[in-house]
Amino acid sequence: MTIDISILVGGEAGQGIQTVGLLMARTCHQAGLYVTMINDFESRIRGGHSFIQLRIGDRPVLGPAEKNHLIVGLDDRTAEVHASELAEDGLLLEPNEKAATVQRQSSRYIDFEKLAKKSGHKIMTNTVAAGVCMALLGAPFDHFKKVLKTTFDNLDEKHVEQNIKAAQYGYEAVADVAFKPAWQWQLETPKGRLIDGAQAVAFGALAGDCRFSAFYPMSPATNIIQSLIDWGSDLPLVVEQAEDEIAAVNMVIGASFAGVRAMTATSGGGFALMTEGLGLAAMTETPIVIVDAQRPGPATGLPTRTAQADLQFVIHAAQDEFPRFVFAPGRPYEAYQVTARALDLSQRFQVPSIILLDQYLADSIFLAEESFKIPESITLHTIDDAGMDNAENYRRYTLTKTGVSPRALPCQGRALVKACSDEHDEEGHITEDAGMRDAMVKKRHAKLEAMRREIRPPATMHADADALLVCWGSLQGAMQEAVALLRAAGHDCGGVHFVDLWPFPDTATSDILGKAKQFFMVEQNHTAQLGQIIRQQTGLKYTDAVLKTNGRPMRADEIFTSVQTILN
Amino acid sequence: MVSADDFNSDYPNHWCPGCGNFGILEAVKSALAALNLSPGQILIVSGIGQAAKAPHFLECNCIHSLHGRALPVATGAKIANHKMTVIVNTGDGDCYAEGGNHFIHAIRRNIDVTVLAHNNGVYGLTKGQASPTSAEGMRTKSQPGGVIAAAFNPLAVALALDAGFVARGFSGHGDQLCDLIQAGINHRGFALIDILQPCVSFNRVNTHKWYQERIEKIDKTHDTSDRTAALNIVLQSEDRIHTGIFYRRERQSFTDRIDKLKDRALIDYSYHSELLREILRKHVATG
Repeated sequence: MTIDISILVGGEAGQGIQTVGLLMARTCHQAGLYVTMINDFESRIRGGHSFIQLRIGDRPVLGPAEKNHLIVGLDDRTAEVHASELAEDGLLLEPNEKAATVQRQSSRYIDFEKLAKKSGHKIMTNTVAAGVCMALLGAPFDHFKKVLKTTFDNLDEKHVEQNIKAAQYGYEAVADVAFKPAWQWQLETPKGRLIDGAQAVAFGALAGDCRFSAFYPMSPATNIIQSLIDWGSDLPLVVEQAEDEIAAVNMVIGASFAGVRAMTATSGGGFALMTEGLGLAAMTETPIVIVDAQRPGPATGLPTRTAQADLQFVIHAAQDEFPRFVFAPGRPYEAYQVTARALDLSQRFQVPSIILLDQYLADSIFLAEESFKIPESITLHTIDDAGMDNAENYRRYTLTKTGVSPRALPCQGRALVKACSDEHDEEGHITEDAGMRDAMVKKRHAKLEAMRREIRPPATMHADADALLVCWGSLQGAMQEAVALLRAAGHDCGGVHFVDLWPFPDTATSDILGKAKQFFMVEQNHTAQLGQIIRQQTGLKYTDAVLKTNGRPMRADEIFTSVQTILN
Repeated sequence: MVSADDFNSDYPNHWCPGCGNFGILEAVKSALAALNLSPGQILIVSGIGQAAKAPHFLECNCIHSLHGRALPVATGAKIANHKMTVIVNTGDGDCYAEGGNHFIHAIRRNIDVTVLAHNNGVYGLTKGQASPTSAEGMRTKSQPGGVIAAAFNPLAVALALDAGFVARGFSGHGDQLCDLIQAGINHRGFALIDILQPCVSFNRVNTHKWYQERIEKIDKTHDTSDRTAALNIVLQSEDRIHTGIFYRRERQSFTDRIDKLKDRALIDYSYHSELLREILRKHVATG
């Protein structure tokens, strides 16, 4: 039997639906199953309607699903909003007796809150709900109890016992229900680790020796910084909340100039404010990393939802031209790797790096099977007096063939470091000299040649297929599943996924896409931004595009249906 | 011993002959020499404007950054390596207009930097528009009917925010200015020295003579621990302009309050992969 089950838990903000999801995700993960959990919420702290969707599989599950086998409402609205997403054998659990018995055959009334109160306090409503779901799926109670204990290890014994009681009431409440999608649980060794995209970026930053971060709170980037704060207490890391994003990026530039690796994270609106600083980093050749966790815009847009519409913006942000790196990881493990790599590459080439995340990747929990290799040491890419012929003659912007000048740090010896946002000469002094201006423009751009060599080609699956689906960033999983669905339906389809986006991998892209009969863009923006870049850089034009801009994550079934319509 | 001449730069100066900035530059050099600080120990951070060009005209480490942004850049640099002596050269437009928000929050943080705000009441680099410190009614090419907004009082704002060191100097009184700069650098925490200076090219009102007629050194009996008295002085009308240290209260600076920075600078730590493995074990759910 193949397990591919989805559970949706909905409720008002503040009801703890994320805890329900986390408990269930851990219970499944600890039994050796694969899980993915998306987090859909409104921009409010209380009320409204939020939900999590947990997808469980005995094979990797890479993104959200269309139908839910179990829909759990902690509020009345869940049934209204999601009843149409119920799978054939599905069950809808409602906290409202009238609605459940009168309106829907496939629904059942459970008063989660009453059971929670019976076990001690209504705050345990979420534990009751998780217990109900796990019981329906057939999870052994002892196994669930173990997960409860580790999850609530910060609570005292009495409260842990109350939670176990709450779970038990949940199990008992559905003891008489035969739930068709349930399966015989085999408790196997857990695979990999559960991690969300925001945590993965934070961990990558620490692995890349990030020692300073300044930020201004902005969804969906805040969890990246919060993870840094939560994890960094024993590490040489200082995090400061700035007065605005302009201050945040400039603090990062100051810290990096003085010699520590530094990073900030924001969303598109904050990145707009940081654009000025991006140019300062480029002109002064100060390494920085900025994470843009994208959400729909323009302006405030949809603060808690997802998009991939900042690609063209970050590639071109700031006046004039300069080299930069742009990366868009597809899953947490890539986010971890890319962040550590971006910190290092920025230092090596003394250029800014931008990492594009989005709300879907930042806030969703994925199972990462890869082992997170932590580097044993860090290369500094700087020099001191001892490494110079004559420290007194040190010039920060010495013209070199590679464009990279030996970088000394201020106040570390006799070498004086002068950095300047005006066009400058080799010493770092303001210059108006036409020849020097040209030389400096060429110097900055000379880095591109070696930077290009660091760029990795897009990953492919079934690259020799007639039709290729092309995506970037967090659409990796949905695209991979869509390709599998299309192939199963008899279409000769393959997939291409970009992580390294700038400098653009021109040759590799031409080689891959040039061989296909046609290719389709799959993106979460309105104008197929990567498609435009591909055309600009390679001359190759996509046949059609599957685009989504409503702020909800793109699902494999949506891609499948759209591509099938195009192909037929 | 370090001498003021050690700070001489062979980079040609860009300022107009007679500019008040020259007096400030010389006072900075003398103050650094008097403190026996060598060019290699100093980081000057500046924004954009005539004042912000100062670090090109003396030997030091510097980052000549963006308009208004010197304070956040200086804050990041000081956090990364708090052993550096960090000075900010800025102007009235740079610090009080474009960088106004950063000015407020740098004071709140009490970051240990010495801010030398070259205040000439006019925009020099862009040729003569009003600045936040231009008097209400001052006529310029761009404000032909006179400035409508009220003048910004940086010292009163700094005092309202309880900045730990608040002083005013005058570019024409080099010896006093040199003393103020030394005191500002010695102060542990945020130090603001607002330095009045004539702009010989664009400010026809606040001339050298105009300042000479009004400037008065603060009475020796002034109690620098009395914030209310300090506020009264800086709120006085412009008929009498006092210079000197108005207020001084030392407390822990931003970096003093970060435990990790007690023993060593952030830059001096080494990388520990074992600690990271521990975090991975502790915080990320595994098998």
